[in-house]
Amino acid sequence: MTDKLTTDIGGDPAGPIPMEDHDQLFWEKQMIATFNLLQTKKIVATDEFRRVVEEMPADYYKNSTFYGRRLDGIVRLLIEKGVIDADALEKRTRAILAAGTRDHV
Amino acid sequence: MTGDTHDHAHDDHRPIREDDDELLTEGEARFLALKGLLIDQGVISADEIRARLEFNERGSSHQAARMIARAWVDPDYKARMLADTKAAALEMGIETTEAKLVTIENTPERHNMVVCTLCSCYPRSLLGEPPAFYVSKAYRSRAVREPRKVLREFGVEIPEQVDIAVHDSNADFRYVVMPMRPAGTDRMSEEELAALITRDCVVGCALPPGTELAD
Amino acid sequence: MSEPAPNYAVGDRVRIVDLRKPGHVRTPTYVREKVGMIERYCGAFENPEERAYGRWGLPRIPLYRVRFGQHDLWPDYDGTPGDVLELEIYDHWLAPAEEARS
Repeated sequence: MTDKLTTDIGGDPAGPIPMEDHDQLFWEKQMIATFNLLQTKKIVATDEFRRVVEEMPADYYKNSTFYGRRLDGIVRLLIEKGVIDADALEKRTRAILAAGTRDHV
Repeated sequence: MTGDTHDHAHDDHRPIREDDDELLTEGEARFLALKGLLIDQGVISADEIRARLEFNERGSSHQAARMIARAWVDPDYKARMLADTKAAALEMGIETTEAKLVTIENTPERHNMVVCTLCSCYPRSLLGEPPAFYVSKAYRSRAVREPRKVLREFGVEIPEQVDIAVHDSNADFRYVVMPMRPAGTDRMSEEELAALITRDCVVGCALPPGTELAD
Repeated sequence: MSEPAPNYAVGDRVRIVDLRKPGHVRTPTYVREKVGMIERYCGAFENPEERAYGRWGLPRIPLYRVRFGQHDLWPDYDGTPGDVLELEIYDHWLAPAEEARS
């Protein structure tokens, strides 16, 4: 039998359901909007995004957050498709962290 | 009779804001870098992001509540909503982007619950972002296997005379639960009725106050 | 391309075949090799198993809403005999319930 996908969790044992809501941060809202645009423009397909999330290692999936997975999935998919360059993204990320501000973006 | 100890009221429409008081995390920095690259490369524009963000902000369970309240008072609208939920939304000025949107009606014989076990499919253009519980692994795992126990965690007890149907939205269809109209609400306006229908009601994890199930 | 004809009708009893297919699929493990009933025909859709890899997902595949008794899915299910679960399954994952397994 092929292994179950990490996302295929219907019926698995689990603990109590977390009831606390978290306000979406502004960057998370922008990220969702960006993802939606990429889908509308047919640069990425929803099915491709789901597949990328399924390809994440089981440990990563278990310990990741919802928005963290979204971001990592979109990034990985865009790199896979050659839309963005992994090094360019890394450089730019470090620069933003070093500057410590979101003013210029 | 039900308790609503874990019920969640409508999201207030907070103004979209910059997170100046939030520390810049690696996640945000990475997203900002991504955004910068995409804009510089001409893949998307800042204006497009802004416009889409504003469109997304319109999504709220209150939109569904307004539709359900109208369905409660107007049987013809109810029939139209059950037959074609997207068109019924549009009648009330509500634009939706889902390919397929379906309303499932609660009846005295059956209570409905919605989950996406494989990811987090949810009618976002209608309802906004899903609640944290809905995207949690615990809900995704347990809602299909032990719905009655899960509902108890929400303070909802479905009696034995009422069946439960759990809907796993694993393909192109997105679901909205239409709760039953509670007794004693005959004099209420549509607006007052809409206020009874919370975000948790439209995924089937809450019942409007005053709902009576079975004898 | 014309729409393919569905192979199953409302009310048909069907078994979800475990195709043991690696990669992206939308058929959860918890319904595989279980027997349910066609609740409705949903129409034909592009195959997400193909689209997940950048392919077009054509020809479209008939999609059905399948209903299962919860007691048929879970050995320890705690609820009424009428409790059900419904989800969407693509045509190629289905076989008639009475058909012998290969």
